[in-house]
Amino acid sequence: MSAEGLSLSDQHSSHVEIEGVALRFGDRPVFSDLHCSFPRGKITVIMGPSGTGKSTLLRMIGGLQKPDQGCVRVAGQEIVGLSELELGRMRKQLGMLFQNGALLDSMSIFENVALPLREHGRQGEDEIRLHVRAGLEAVGLPDVDDLLPGELSGGMLRRAALARAIVSEPAVVLCDEPFSGLDPPNVSRIESLLRDLNRNLGLTLIVTSHHMASSLRMADQVLLLQEGHSISGSPQELAESRDSAIVDFMGEDGAEYLSHHVSVKEGH
Amino acid sequence: MKGVLSRLGAWVTGGVVGLGQTVNFGASVLRSAFVSPLRGRQIVAAIYDSGVLSLALLCASGATVGFVLGLQLYYTLSRFGAESSLGTAVGLALIRELGPVLTGLLVTGRAGSATCAEIGSMKATDQLDGLRMMAIDPIHFVVMPRALGIIIVMPLLSALFVIFGIGGAYLIGVELLGLDGGSYISGLESAVAFREDVLQSIVKSLIFGVLLALISTYRGYACAPNAVGVSRATTSTVVTTSVCILLADFVLTSLWGV
Repeated sequence: MSAEGLSLSDQHSSHVEIEGVALRFGDRPVFSDLHCSFPRGKITVIMGPSGTGKSTLLRMIGGLQKPDQGCVRVAGQEIVGLSELELGRMRKQLGMLFQNGALLDSMSIFENVALPLREHGRQGEDEIRLHVRAGLEAVGLPDVDDLLPGELSGGMLRRAALARAIVSEPAVVLCDEPFSGLDPPNVSRIESLLRDLNRNLGLTLIVTSHHMASSLRMADQVLLLQEGHSISGSPQELAESRDSAIVDFMGEDGAEYLSHHVSVKEGH
Repeated sequence: MKGVLSRLGAWVTGGVVGLGQTVNFGASVLRSAFVSPLRGRQIVAAIYDSGVLSLALLCASGATVGFVLGLQLYYTLSRFGAESSLGTAVGLALIRELGPVLTGLLVTGRAGSATCAEIGSMKATDQLDGLRMMAIDPIHFVVMPRALGIIIVMPLLSALFVIFGIGGAYLIGVELLGLDGGSYISGLESAVAFREDVLQSIVKSLIFGVLLALISTYRGYACAPNAVGVSRATTSTVVTTSVCILLADFVLTSLWGV
């Protein structure tokens, strides 16, 4: 494990890299000199106390938030300073699950999920229909085609948004708090969905979460944001760490859970 | 004194920056109107939202204004024995001024505020960022169709307002107060000229439409992404557009040489 987070990137090629990023919102510094990387084909969970910039980091990777200084690279391409048109091209390899779903209120669930395919794909309507149906079935929503987003529950909305994020088969999926506000069955469902996506399609998943149990169960790498800098490592490395920042964040319950979970995972 | 000057300077600078940003935004919207795909479906939906859903309001308001004009002008003109000029007076007042201006103000209250609030809510709930993340330009997908919808419906609604206004005044003047129907219509027909009156009315309502489209979409697009921000943007849209329409009406009337 390392501060400024580079342990897993030593073993796997990085899909997304953040170098020397600084960002302030008014007088409040969010990042001072952030370095971290996200390995290709792995699940990285970004954790940390509220207000440490987890969602901002995701938005930065998506090009929605420009840093004051520093470098953000997606698949080797520097994205800071790209025009909106160039960012659009880059974003075709990204999918993003927003915290509130961000589905278009005025369109049905089917139309929402079909939107990226209709806009950029070259498929015919029949093929789009097949893709959308497959996406909605993958997230366990086979019968909601004609409903509006407002007619779905929070968990269903999140799953429909996930279907939209993955329907165009992006290489990287960014998930902002996918578990927040969900009941335990829905947390498990989304967790296993994300894990399946990673295993079956080899997607790089970058997830922000406060939900410690799910995050640690699915993570290959955990990135802990602390006052503008990062500490990263595998869940096992976190379990073994005596770093006060990690111990403080996890608390006793978290540390206990972590050591138990990791020992079960390792087959002890 | 220094503090007052400093605040005044900041206010003026803020105003100039805001104006620049609005014009810049307008240029982006205009550019996106010429980018493929045309967004026909969204434009038709926007025409429905801004136009069709405003029909009842516009027709009822036009007729009511016509009733009031019919009554007021009839009694005023009859003092000079000129009540037969009611058609002329009502027609010119409605076509040149009241039609475009009142339509502009009514559509601002109904469709402009709704457009601003809708775009603002989309921003507050990350729907615009969601579009960006799907490599879809929100100006092209959301803003341009709504702006174009408002610009297209404004002259049509204004024409409808004028027709209902003239009809309302006819009902009062002719059917209620006993004025001769033929003199009402012939007075209207002989006094209204296409170039000076009708064309002026169409141009005015088009310009009011452009102002409303630009201000309502920009305020929604640039609002703070929360409930207070959307509420302030909506109020600001109604106030700013109403003032701009009244000012523009004065400028256009002066320039037209009436």
